[in-house]
Amino acid sequence: MKLTLSVNLGGYSFNIDDDAYEELRRYLKNLEIHFAGEENNSEILSDIETRMAELFRGKLTAYKQVITISDVKETISVLGNPEDIDDSTSTSTKEKFTSPGYHRMYRDPDKRMLGGVCAGMAAYWNIDMWIMRGIFFVLAMAGGLGVLMYIILWVVLPEAKTTAQKIEMKGEPVNIQNIKDSVKNEVETVRKKMNL
Amino acid sequence: MDLENTKAQMRKGILEYCILSILSGNSCYASDIIKGLKEGKVIVVEGTLYPLLTRLKNAGLLSYRWEESLQGPPRKYYELTAEGVKYLNELDSSWKELVESVSLLRKK
Repeated sequence: MKLTLSVNLGGYSFNIDDDAYEELRRYLKNLEIHFAGEENNSEILSDIETRMAELFRGKLTAYKQVITISDVKETISVLGNPEDIDDSTSTSTKEKFTSPGYHRMYRDPDKRMLGGVCAGMAAYWNIDMWIMRGIFFVLAMAGGLGVLMYIILWVVLPEAKTTAQKIEMKGEPVNIQNIKDSVKNEVETVRKKMNL
Repeated sequence: MDLENTKAQMRKGILEYCILSILSGNSCYASDIIKGLKEGKVIVVEGTLYPLLTRLKNAGLLSYRWEESLQGPPRKYYELTAEGVKYLNELDSSWKELVESVSLLRKK
């Protein structure tokens, strides 16, 4: 007996074994990282998901209704792993993205008081966020410059939405191990909050 | 020298040209384009196509429309824009030039 999950892929619903789901999730995450530097990357990803759904449907019959790990592996070999998806312009962005210490300033939505500007800056320079908040508070009291700066930064800095961006914010290299670690951390914080 | 690498580079160079050629005169669903490219043996993995389609669309050479499908969710049908047709004509003549120069060199 095996546990199955139900997923929506490109508008179709599939029953998928849990190990196959893990493999699929890992693959889609890798693709997301691969295309992170690309314009309209969400469109590319949804096109690929649509194609995957089509290939999966070809594997189902009246007697076989669950997607297995070998189905997922075969489909991945048809679509290609990120390193096989060979496209001239994105190789440079890929290197930039995975190189150690690739570092960008974001707003940190997880630790925000207002817009997460101070938390994001603190994560970028690896200092305590209360130091940044203190600086902004002093600047805000002394003539209001801090308020103006805060608003400008709120507009200018993007929010760290994906796990990859949150890792970039801290300046760690983006790779699968890191993403796993940070997801694990997130799960633990949620657990602590709920007192489990 | 790596023969496979050289071949791959050659294929990569003409991939855009092949996609635009397939779309010349008719609109296609992404899977039809894949079929064409696979028959022509110009792509190895299917995933290569999707970033290229998006890039060609961003460059204004392609556009797409959604069409209802009997077999499932609506599908994206791609077609050449006027600019895309012009671009393809340019590529056509440069392809002819390349073929001529190579055959000229081979005769010597």
